[in-house]
Amino acid sequence: MHRAVYKVGLQYLAGDITGGNARCIAMLQAFSEAIRDYTTPAEKTLTRDLTAKIGSYVSFLIECRPLSISMGNAIRFLKNRIAKLPLTLSESEAKTSLCLDIDRFINEKIILADRVIVRHASTKIRDGDVLLTYGSSCVVEMLLSHALELGKKFHVVIVDSRPKLEGQSLLRRLVANGLNCTYTHLNAVSYIMHEVTRVFLGASSILSNGTVYSRVGTAAVAMVANAFSVPVLICCEAYKFHERVQLDSICFNELGDPQAVAKVSGRGDVNYLGSLGNKDNLQLLNLMYDATPSEYISMIVTDYGMIPPTSVPVIVREYCRDQLWI
Amino acid sequence: MDFQVVVLAGGFSKKLVPLVSKEVPKALLPVANRPVLSYVLDLLEQSNLKDLIVVVEGSDAAFRVGGWISAAYLDRLHVDVAPVPEDIGTAGALRAISHHLTARDILVVSGDLVSDVPPGAVAAAHRRHDAVVTATLCSNPVSGPADSGSSGAKDKTKKPGRNIIGLDPSRQFLLHIAAGAELEKDLRVQKSILRAVGEMELRADLMDAHLYAIKRSVLLEVLDQKETFQSIKKDVLPYLVRSQLKSEVLSNGAPQVEENGNDKVNSQSKRITQSQILANASNRSFHELYAFGPDGSASARRTHKCCVYIANNNKYCARLNSIQAFSDINRDVTGEANHLSGYSFSAHNNLIHPSAELGSKTTVGPHCLLGEGSQMGDKCSVKRSVIGRHCRIGSSVKIVNSVVMDHVTIGDGCSVQGSVVCSNVQLQERVTLKDCQVGASYVVTAGSEYRGESLAKKEK
Repeated sequence: MHRAVYKVGLQYLAGDITGGNARCIAMLQAFSEAIRDYTTPAEKTLTRDLTAKIGSYVSFLIECRPLSISMGNAIRFLKNRIAKLPLTLSESEAKTSLCLDIDRFINEKIILADRVIVRHASTKIRDGDVLLTYGSSCVVEMLLSHALELGKKFHVVIVDSRPKLEGQSLLRRLVANGLNCTYTHLNAVSYIMHEVTRVFLGASSILSNGTVYSRVGTAAVAMVANAFSVPVLICCEAYKFHERVQLDSICFNELGDPQAVAKVSGRGDVNYLGSLGNKDNLQLLNLMYDATPSEYISMIVTDYGMIPPTSVPVIVREYCRDQLWI
Repeated sequence: MDFQVVVLAGGFSKKLVPLVSKEVPKALLPVANRPVLSYVLDLLEQSNLKDLIVVVEGSDAAFRVGGWISAAYLDRLHVDVAPVPEDIGTAGALRAISHHLTARDILVVSGDLVSDVPPGAVAAAHRRHDAVVTATLCSNPVSGPADSGSSGAKDKTKKPGRNIIGLDPSRQFLLHIAAGAELEKDLRVQKSILRAVGEMELRADLMDAHLYAIKRSVLLEVLDQKETFQSIKKDVLPYLVRSQLKSEVLSNGAPQVEENGNDKVNSQSKRITQSQILANASNRSFHELYAFGPDGSASARRTHKCCVYIANNNKYCARLNSIQAFSDINRDVTGEANHLSGYSFSAHNNLIHPSAELGSKTTVGPHCLLGEGSQMGDKCSVKRSVIGRHCRIGSSVKIVNSVVMDHVTIGDGCSVQGSVVCSNVQLQERVTLKDCQVGASYVVTAGSEYRGESLAKKEK
């Protein structure tokens, strides 16, 4: 077990790193370091042995925390690059080539993609807008900071929810930048929605039927926005697209800690469930993700442009499978 | 997993005279009929840490320890025994073996630790935060009734091993540590640390288990620069904790900003975006927040992290550093913590070796250990004690709350209470010992009564 992979796994387990992009970047950097320190054992080929090693690292990471879809796509890319290494390369050349590939993936698919998305989406923000966002998405945060730099005048509503309360760190950073913000919880979203002009949301992944797979609560925000005829824009990099189809939130999800629903961290006195929590016919459910149907989405902003949700399978077919992420 | 283990096994400790002698260095003192070093080695073997360096003070002691280890752990562990000169302290011992240290992190364990705290968990806490040092803390063990006579000067103010530990609210980082003699003076807390973290929890009920995970580069740098540091616990650890926000030991501080060429600027900005994504998504510790300064820019303040691992309450942890601790650990390992001893206890909660012979009407109470080949006479009574191998114990002998080591002869009618009797001792008839320690190969004449004394053969 390489120490960088071990450290990243521990950070996932403890919840030190959250968010699809950050987890993917951390994992790829750890793999890059592991590849740099790797030496082929005698009597073995680099491709087969390195693929097996990466497989073992991935199993360890899965034990710490189930993989996000972005991480799964990145691992498929890496295994594909290892399999495509020409046999004539020496070991050090192969290792440098792989590390360069990983760097290029991070740069092109995440960093530059984010810049392109931010540039496109900031054209959709006009002066006087009231924008709403849910939870903490790094692309949406970059978009809001960029729009502020461009000098646009707008107001942001951050909707947050228990138990993770991810919106608070986003709120802190935006207020420190000088944005006018409103902070509220998910139970008030139907109240605040009549003032909102646009909704920007992030996504963990977008599936082939246009369903957006994102942090739990996103579906509720999108549906309320739809009811108020407010356009909903999803900002998502193309490397997060997946050819799977999911009809509801339950068939594929991640379970969080059930006690986090019953207890409030830092407040030991808030224990309203009490002994009721131990009963057999009560099960505490803490889902991490949910699925938003495509009819509630107005537009998806990706690094391939601004597309309607029905165009997602086109991008998956044209750009993702054949060219294999290059 | 890139950890190298160093076991500091001491030499002939002066606090444990007369239990230790030329033949029995401190590391080989028996606890529940096993040398105390075997507890540490078993714990490391269970955690799959098989490459060890055992440091012993004094070449005699090193020879004996080395001999025992190679006999007992022949194929199970790979151990290098390194002798160092006597009385150079724990930091000095590490300085002496510094050329053997190659891994990225070093796990320093004290050889007199009897515990089941998993070293893997300490290593995980160390790696998760990329810390410079991680200390292991556990709650203070319950001590038995203190010996009235044998503990030297009467210390009413504090028990040995008291610490004052400062922790941050999440109980992961070590903010302050003060131990021993410093407790009598005023407590001085670094204001910068307090300001950076906001809230500090001061605790006096935690004991330092002497299981440290230290980054090797930092350890070697500190040992090089500070020649006067003798002890890890008293010097090195407080120094690292005190300087955690004004780090002078890290050679790889915050990344330097390069200034030439457009290409460099481009890649620099990409790297900045990347690190920003990572930073925004993760929980920052107060070190990172401090290093970034009030205006958010990466200033030149370098910090390092001192982490702490607090063992669960149900883990047993004790150190053999005094005679009282020796009796306590023996009592605990046969009593509450008997999973540590590795033996399986019988239904009566005691362990009598199959080859031991008991006379008629002899009772052996719970929490007792009777070694192999020992013979007890009639009408004896053994309560809460440990008896070693090949002892010959006469009739009508009462042994309560004591430790009797190997090859001891006890005559008829003796009464041994709360005492430690070392190997090869001969107690003649009707001897009464209460709270005494009898050194190795001593002969106690018949009919004598001793209370609270330490008997040992005069060295010629």
